[in-house]
Parts: sequence; C-alpha cells; structure tokens
Amino acid sequence: MRKHPVFNYLNCVSCSICAQACPVSALDMKKEGKSGKYRNVFPEPNNRTCTGCGICAKACPMEAITMVEVEEK
Amino acid sequence: MINSFAGKVLHVNLSAGSFQILSVPESVYAAVLAGKGLEAWYLYRHIPAGADPLGPDNILAFAAGALCGTGAFLTGRWTVACKSPLTGGWGDANCGGVFAPAIKQCGYDAIFISGCSEKPVYLFCDDKKVEIRDAFSYWGMDAVEAEKALHLDLDSACRKKPCIACIGQGGEKLSLISGICNEGGRIAARSGVGAVMGSKKLKAVVLAGMKPMRCANPDAVKALSKELGSKLLKMSMPSGLGFFLGMGGRMMGHLPYLPLDGSLTSLMFKEWGTPANTSLAITSGDGPIKNWGGTPRDARLMPSIFNPEHINKIETAKYHCYSCPLGCGGKLKIKGRPYTTFDETHKPEYETIQAFGALLLNRSLDSIYQINELFNRAGIDTISAGNTIAWAIECYENGILSKNQTDGLELSWGNTEAILALVRKMIAREGFGDYLADGVRKASERFGGKEYAMHIGGQEPGMHDARNDPQLGIHFVAEPAPGKHTVGMGIEYGAMSLCDICSWAPPAKPHSKEEDLEDTETMALISKANACYTMLTDGAGGCYYGQMMGVHMWKLVDYLNAAEGWQYDGDHYMEIGERIQTLRQMFNIRQGFDPASVSLPKRMAGEPPLPSGPLKGISLNNQTQVRSHWRAFGWDPDTGIPLPETMERLGINALLNVEENI
Repeated sequence: MRKHPVFNYLNCVSCSICAQACPVSALDMKKEGKSGKYRNVFPEPNNRTCTGCGICAKACPMEAITMVEVEEK
Repeated sequence: MINSFAGKVLHVNLSAGSFQILSVPESVYAAVLAGKGLEAWYLYRHIPAGADPLGPDNILAFAAGALCGTGAFLTGRWTVACKSPLTGGWGDANCGGVFAPAIKQCGYDAIFISGCSEKPVYLFCDDKKVEIRDAFSYWGMDAVEAEKALHLDLDSACRKKPCIACIGQGGEKLSLISGICNEGGRIAARSGVGAVMGSKKLKAVVLAGMKPMRCANPDAVKALSKELGSKLLKMSMPSGLGFFLGMGGRMMGHLPYLPLDGSLTSLMFKEWGTPANTSLAITSGDGPIKNWGGTPRDARLMPSIFNPEHINKIETAKYHCYSCPLGCGGKLKIKGRPYTTFDETHKPEYETIQAFGALLLNRSLDSIYQINELFNRAGIDTISAGNTIAWAIECYENGILSKNQTDGLELSWGNTEAILALVRKMIAREGFGDYLADGVRKASERFGGKEYAMHIGGQEPGMHDARNDPQLGIHFVAEPAPGKHTVGMGIEYGAMSLCDICSWAPPAKPHSKEEDLEDTETMALISKANACYTMLTDGAGGCYYGQMMGVHMWKLVDYLNAAEGWQYDGDHYMEIGERIQTLRQMFNIRQGFDPASVSLPKRMAGEPPLPSGPLKGISLNNQTQVRSHWRAFGWDPDTGIPLPETMERLGINALLNVEENI
C-alpha cells in the first residue's frame, strides 16, 4: 500500500503552492477545468513520479488535498 | 527560533568565477524582513559610491520575501534590485510567477551577483551546488525561447523542475529600459534591471533547489489563507459588465474622492485582471492620453475598444502566480488575429494597454497583443517603451523629428503599423530604434523635444495621472526609484484601511478633489503611510493587489506574526517599512543621486493646466507636497536627506554595521 494525493478541485484556488512544495515536481498545473464560471488550470499528480510523501497536502492552505492509500501495482 | 527566513544569502562574483554563502544575522531580518529590505541593507553596504551601473561593481540582487513559502497567500513576488542605469540611483523591479519560492528552496533569502563575465553564462543553483555555466548557445534567444531551451536541456538532470529567470534581447543589448523575465515572459520590468544583467553577460539564473521552506506557525498561516481563499472562491460577477466601466470612469471623473472597499478591487481583478482599469482610466482622467497632453475627447471609442470583455473572450485559462488565489493574469489565444504572429500571449496588463493604446492614440487592441508578446519576449518594459514612442510621435508631429530620422516611418498619432515597426526596431536596436531603446531621457537629449519627454528622474512614469491623483504625484517624485506608480495612490489608500492597523495613519474620508492639491499634514501622513506599507509588503514579498484588498482581507500583520513567531502590532511593522524606505533613500544619497533634483515634467504637473476634460484646470502643488512628505519621514525637507535623529530612531547606523558571516 502507498499513499496518493486526491484533489477536491471545488476547494482549489490554483495557487500552485502544492506544486512548488512537491520535492519531485510530481504536480503539474495543467488540468483544465472551471472554478465557478472561470476557466482555470489545476494541479494534476503524476502517478509515476509521486512518492506519496504528503508534502503537497500539508502545504495546501485550502485543505483541498487528501492522501489516500492505494494498492501498489 | 524557527521563522520563515532561510538565514543565508548567496553572493556570486562573475569576474572571479567564485561564490560565497553568507549567514545573515537575525537582527537584520527583524529590522527589514527579507525581499527589498534585505536587498537595501546589502546593496547599500556593498555597492561602492559612484559605481558604474553597467560595470562590475554594481550588484544585481534577486530576493524572495519573508512570507514566501509559508502558505501565506499573495506572497510570491520576487524583487530584483541594483543601482539603476536609467536613473543612476536605487533601482528595483518586482514580478510574480514561480521564481520567488525557488530562491528559498535553494536555501537562500537572496542571491547577489557582482562582477562581469567575459562570455555569456548562466547561474545554476540547487540546494547542494552553485555553478556558473556556459550560456553561449542561449545568447541571442528571446526570453521565452531561452527558458524553453534551458528546460529542455536541464529538466531531465534535475529531480525538481527548475525555475528560470532570464533576459531577452533587450537585456543582452543593454537597453536601459529592459527587465528580467520568468514563466514565459512575465517580467520584472522597471529600472533597467535587464541591462544590468546583460552587462554581466548573465543570460539566466536557474534554480532547482528542494529545501523545505519554513514557518513558525504554519497552521495559523494556513487558517488566514483559508479564510481569504474561501472568500475569493465565492466571488464573481455576471459577465458582460465591462461595457459599463467607461461610464463608471466618467462618473468618477466628476465625483468627489470616495474611499472604496478593498473587496471591490478583488472582484474586478478576478473578473478582468488589470485591464479592468483601462476604460475607467480613459474616461476618469486616471489614464494618460496622447503623451499625457490629451483628454478623453482624443480617445473617443477607446473605452469600447479596450473593454476588457474583448480580452476575456480569448482567454483560454486564468494565470495565477505562486501563492495567488486571485488569478489576475491569463493566457490568451491570439493565433490568426490581425497583426499577431504568435499563438498565445500572457494577458496584457493595464499598463501595457494604456501605454500602447490611448497614450499613442492607437485603436488596435490586436496590435497590443502582438506588442505585449514582442516586448515580453525581448524583456523590455512596456511602460518606458510606450512613453518613449509617445515622445517620438509628438516630436514627429511637431517637426522636431523628420522622416529621415525615423527611418522613413510616418510617426503620426495612432499609426499602428508605424508603432509596430518601431517596436521591432527598438528590440533589434536598429536605426532610430537604437536611440529609443535607452528610454525617453536619452532620446530627448540626443534629438531635442525635451518638453515632450515624460520622465521623472530618468524613469518613465506608470500609466496613472498625478493630476487625477495628486497623492500619486508625491510618490512619483519622492520615491527613491522615481516614476514608479506602485508605491502609493489616493484611491489605493482608501481601499487599504491602514488606520485600522497603524495609530498615526489618517482615516480615508470622502473629500473634494481640490483638497488633495493642498499641502497638509494629513496629506503628508497619508503619503508616508502609503510608502511604509508598500515597503513592508515588499519586505514580505507581497503583491500590491493583496494590499489593495485592504488590511481586513489580506491580513499582512497577522500573517507576519504567525510566520515569524512574533507578536508585534501594526505600528511596529510600519516602522519596518519606514526603515526600508529610509535605507533606499540613503542608498541614493551615497550614490550621489540628488533627490531634490527630481520633479514632474511640467505637463504632468498641470503647467499649463488642461483646458478641458476631467483634469481641466488642475495644477499640482507637487514640490511643496514632496517636501512635506520628506518632513513626515524625518528627512530634511529641502534636500531629502534623512536627518541624523531619524537614522538613530530607526537604528539604521547600527544596522549598517552588522556584518554577514561566512
């Protein structure tokens, strides 16, 4: 089992604090979506590089990231 | 004690090819925070008096602010500082993007670069190594191309994707109005900082550190951010209201001064970004028209042409700087539009739209997208460039410049093709453009037409008219980096509610605009409070749009206390701002820059006053107000030199004797 970040994009303000905090650049601000009526980009985890360290979740001021356990493949 | 500071700075000497990592005593951070404050402390002590701004003795500084990396929102600004080649005094510029946290993640609060390399180089740092590397293959590229090429070459070798600040052709060719870019052309534009980087043959600074950024009480900081972020998430307004901005400006031009709530700024900037201001500015008298000599009549239809709804229609996504929940930036799809040769560009700022729109009577918004991208890539300041081209057009229209001198360009008002051609010539430093690439003061010294050259102490002013806002006129002149529009404005003061954190800051009250022309103690205290709070914001690495939200929405004092583990009140923090501003003024005095020699161009001071429009009949009392501003700071009102008792009260003499440790 390992941990993986899951995003609640409704709470995300696209501030990229999580992406910059990630020590392995596993979050890219490239997920396209909407925040209310505004077109925006959101962080998207790269499952291959993410180590599940949880630094992003700890850094997020909006509590928009939850670390969940996933099966190792 | 844990606080937000890295506690170290990096000093690289490009002449010697060497570097030192220096520890900064805590007393320095307590006195001036980081960012611009730390830079002022360091540069005052290490740039010799009389140093050539484009020589090896000048030091180019990159600094992150105190709150960067703590989880505090709107604190991702990085500040570049040096001795300015444009003014000969203190120079600084600041920018968003992602570069500020990257400085701290390398383990530094600031990076200082002295000396000059003989061949093009770039600086590479992570949290383990510092290397000066060959940049031959990147030299000649524009800033966007260089950033892409560096990523292509370096990303795979770095565990963390590097953050890059670099110069384009402007800095390489020592254009005195050039800046430094990151994130695809977002630019720290002012003061000629790009030319200083170019003079050092430094193409780029590449940062790939992974050090965690610290904070005394992260939960308290995050709680403040969540409160602010939750408010901003809910904010929005119906689309299509941009049409009414021009009408709003017309009303504002005739109404007395009314303090506005800071949340209105957030709402407008979230909806439109800074282009929200364009139509308002054209009709209210805030935005300069026809080289600062025109009126809204000269700019007919422009409030509609520059309605920000047109820009929103081609925005593909908002752009947020690091730690920003607001997102005043945006990415625009411009492929296939008239005049454009690029696929996309960053949303042009109000300053760019005004400088290449109403200031030149250019009616093509599409041409401004192209100019925006050209200058972002070249790393050239659009404020300075627009003012310089406005001078050229007015000189041409008045027979001071002939077609032979303009390389055959018909430089008439609003000639979009000629303006675009001149922009390209400035970037390439080709023909007539070569002279314009060093700003309006140099150009007017060569060709004449000094009465049409709008600069303040050598720097071209931001796109806000002091006749509309005399408070701004005080800062245009009294600011150690004159001509900057970001230090204080009357309208901004009304939104900030500084009286709620500072015992001596006067409350903002509705009043007639004539009152702002008077020389009063209240006016002087307001200008002092404006400047102190802005310096505090710069020391914290904060964004001016956070400032404009007001102290009840962007809680800077609470953020600083939580991040640093301090329990100071607003008065203490305002004194930090006062200390930073006084240090910058002392830098100028040491470098032989005479503050008393700076004044507004006659036209901008309302001499003679405009015969019509919202600014009709207004003449400023600027020189008297500036002297009262200096008095309020405890500086000699005649010379602008900080008085010995002020230096003592602020502990500056002792601070300047503090040494960094190897």
